[in-house]
Amino acid sequence: MYVIVVGGGTVGYYLSRDLVERGHEVTLIERDGKRADWLETQLGSIVMRGDGCEVRFLAQTGIERADAIIAVTADDEDNLIALQMAKKHFKVKKTIARVNNPTNVEIFKMLGVDEAVSATEVLLGALEPPLTT
Amino acid sequence: MKLVIVGCGRVGSQIAADMDHAGHEVVIVDRDPNAFSRASTRGVLTREFKGDQVVGNGTDVDILRRAGVEHADGFVAVTEGDNRNIMASQIAKNIFKVPHVVARIYDPERAEAYEKIGLHTICPTLEGARHIEKVLLERESR
Repeated sequence: MYVIVVGGGTVGYYLSRDLVERGHEVTLIERDGKRADWLETQLGSIVMRGDGCEVRFLAQTGIERADAIIAVTADDEDNLIALQMAKKHFKVKKTIARVNNPTNVEIFKMLGVDEAVSATEVLLGALEPPLTT
Repeated sequence: MKLVIVGCGRVGSQIAADMDHAGHEVVIVDRDPNAFSRASTRGVLTREFKGDQVVGNGTDVDILRRAGVEHADGFVAVTEGDNRNIMASQIAKNIFKVPHVVARIYDPERAEAYEKIGLHTICPTLEGARHIEKVLLERESR
């Protein structure tokens, strides 16, 4: 699979590393120049510096042949816009978001994102025992 | 009309003051609690402002509900962040079905992309540039 990851924070870094280890083709997009340089020392040439919400930049990533795009920046709005651009402009089949505000899981789906994952919800799920009726 | 404004910067506070003065019901939202006092220091949101101020993130559905988005006739997103404005206005338009929604988007490409899918966008970059160019050319032709 060819997967584009938007956001090279801790989540984006480990996600990209694991995807590469599993044999996938990955492009990791990071906006911050310094962070992008560091990521490149770790992951090599899969890192591209730029804004994952800009159509012109996305067009340079080979996005039209991507199987999936995963947006994992710390800002929900940036993740939403990157994925909407990917879906509406480039017809990427699978769009996946990390959301920080758990209420955005539903909101993102209503606004066209295929999957939205909230760490808060996952943690709450781990804390609370499953309901037995 | 009932109007919700997200972003209490220069533009947001000006719209809030004008619409309030014109007799509309205004709620203005900003995540920075100091934004409101800054607007009043500038002489924009004075004591005469009858509208409500809500502190919170304008892309958060719960904050928007608190601001009355469910019963709003108009919605304006004018924070400094293009993506925040796009997200807030899509929530207002697509989820709460607010009839009049306007988003300010500085990036011309992003503005065009969202205008195409039905969001009413204002791009001050293009409009400002065109206005200045027009003034320049008018001078030259005189």
